Amino acid sequence: MLRASISRARPALRSVAPVAAPQWRLAPRFFADKKNLDETVIPQTDPLTTPSNPGTPASPILPPRDLNTAPAPPPRSPHVAAPSASRSAPVEQPATTPPTGPGSASVAPDPKPPKKKRRLFRTLVWLTILSALGYGGGVWYSLVSDNFHDFFTEYIPFGEDAVGYFEEREFRKRFPGRAGTPRSLSALPGTSQQVTIPGNAGLGARPVPAGETAEKSPHMSAVESKPKEAKTVVEPKADKAAEVKKEEPKKEVVAAPEPVAAKPIAQIDHLSVPNAEDPVVQDVVKIVNDLITMVNADPVHGSKYNSALEKAKSELGKVVSDINLMKDNLKKSAEDEIKAAHTQFDAAARELVNRLEVQMHEQELHWKEEYENERENLSQSYKDKLQSELDIAKKVYEQRLKNELLEQSALLQKQFTQAVRDRVESEREGRLGKLNELSSSVHELEQLTAEWNSVVDANLKTQHLVVAVEAVKSSLENQITPKPFITELAALKEIADDDPVVSAAIASINPAAYQRGIPNAGQLVDRFRRVAQEVRKAALLPEDAGVASHLASLAMSKVTFKKSGLAVGQDVEAVLARTEVLLEEGDLDGAAREMNSLQGWAKVLSKDWLSDCRRVLEVRQALDVITTEARLQTLLVD
Amino acid sequence: MADESPKPVATIPRTSRPMSEALLNEKWDRCLSSLLIRSGLGLSFGIVFSVLLFKRRAWPAFVGLGFGAGRAWEECDNSFKRAAAPSKDGLRVIRP
Repeated sequence: MLRASISRARPALRSVAPVAAPQWRLAPRFFADKKNLDETVIPQTDPLTTPSNPGTPASPILPPRDLNTAPAPPPRSPHVAAPSASRSAPVEQPATTPPTGPGSASVAPDPKPPKKKRRLFRTLVWLTILSALGYGGGVWYSLVSDNFHDFFTEYIPFGEDAVGYFEEREFRKRFPGRAGTPRSLSALPGTSQQVTIPGNAGLGARPVPAGETAEKSPHMSAVESKPKEAKTVVEPKADKAAEVKKEEPKKEVVAAPEPVAAKPIAQIDHLSVPNAEDPVVQDVVKIVNDLITMVNADPVHGSKYNSALEKAKSELGKVVSDINLMKDNLKKSAEDEIKAAHTQFDAAARELVNRLEVQMHEQELHWKEEYENERENLSQSYKDKLQSELDIAKKVYEQRLKNELLEQSALLQKQFTQAVRDRVESEREGRLGKLNELSSSVHELEQLTAEWNSVVDANLKTQHLVVAVEAVKSSLENQITPKPFITELAALKEIADDDPVVSAAIASINPAAYQRGIPNAGQLVDRFRRVAQEVRKAALLPEDAGVASHLASLAMSKVTFKKSGLAVGQDVEAVLARTEVLLEEGDLDGAAREMNSLQGWAKVLSKDWLSDCRRVLEVRQALDVITTEARLQTLLVD
Repeated sequence: MADESPKPVATIPRTSRPMSEALLNEKWDRCLSSLLIRSGLGLSFGIVFSVLLFKRRAWPAFVGLGFGAGRAWEECDNSFKRAAAPSKDGLRVIRP
């Protein structure tokens, strides 16, 4: 993974590296060029002013020299300039350059040595030619090679100036726009090259604009033609001084006119206008001064113009004074006007102030009135409010008083009613007590009736019970064969309403009794007769009797006498007789008891009858209990 | 009462269990029947024996009859004796 990422990253790095490399290679190139430009430009800035000046000032002075002393050097100067121009871009330049070639100036003194000796002259010539060639070659090569440029400018005298001059030329050719203004200036003088004078011969405090100089150029040219002539005439005297001062042409330009004007004739003074502050006047004065200087410079025709100039001067002075006068007048009038305006303004201001005061006063009055009105209104409204609040408060107070009165009256009424009620209550107490007693008695009566009702109900219940019991009894007595009497007993139980005694009595009855029914008294007696016959058969049997004793008792029972009535004795015959009697009497209980007293076979034989008897007795007993219970209930109810 | 009595007489014997007063009579019936059967059997056996063994003599027949009657008697006697005492069926007798 890492490798892959690195491999992927590498192309980017590679791509970056080549891009960076050219930049690095290019950058120095640019830098070197720029350096060159800087180097060339920086010298140019100085030369821009310097060579142009030396070019121009040298030219006006040199041509005379060329004319006078050495016509030879000019051809040399092209020699020097030619190689540089021919090898550099512009070839046609040298044609124009010759007049500006300053190198030739230095050669100018050379013509002196040839007069001495021919040999020395030859060597000198060769030397100069060689040195010039070498110099030219050096200059050309310095333009080509940077290293050599540095070396040349540093170690060869005037090399820097020479190289700088050519470089500047080249630069100007390349960018004519930038060096337009100096060129135009230099170009104009091309036709009439002495225009530089007015620039320096300034009387005015202001620098003269370019347009004006252009306008003046024709004048100047016209005037300058004279100084030239004057110079040509005068120069022989100041020739050497001028030649010495060639090296510093600037100073010459400034200094030249003055000595020239001063020296020949001091007839005409420069016009001096002490109060000339107007630029127009200044210009005029300057023009006149120039004229004067021209005239002064021209000694031949100077005298001609003197009178005119004087006149002009005086007139100018007059004009100036007039101007001054006019100015003063104007000033005065302006001041007057200003004063008048001041006064007017003051008046107006006063009027305004007055008006404002009046207005303010009026406003004040108005406001006062408004204030008064407002105050009155406010006081009125507050009074109204106060009045209304007082009224409200009064009303509230009255209402409260009324309420209190009402409350008091209500309280009094309550008290009164309470008192009346108390009194009435106390008076009524006795009667009310009696009434209460009556009501209580009525209540008791009601209770009694209710109790009676319950008693009646209970009686009814017991009656029902009795009726049911009677119904059971009758059903038992009136039956022909023993019938089950479950329904009657159930009805009895229902009527008894779960009476514990009744339910217990019913429970005491053997279920077989009411399921199969019980025989009535007649049936019992009938059955007793049959049982008695059988019992008599076994009456004489001893204990543990066998067949023989049975046969004997059977046979003997036929012949024994029957007892009747309440027989005394415990034998079977007597018991039977008593039982019969008891049965006839209706004493079932006693009969059962008698029969129960039998022993042995007799008892075994009478067992069924006895159980029957018992059932009947149980039923009877239960029914008796129920009837007694009903009777007891009726008794309890009371 | 006299009119009503015949009806119950008719109805009472319908009960499944024999009436207690009819116990003795029933025993008598059983005894007589068994006497008849057993004496008859004994007689018949005696007759067979007398014919086969005793050359048609009369006494084996009587002996046989006597045996039969005696057996019936014994049985009857036993039933009477047992019936007199209260039945001990279902009762556990603990002897010292």
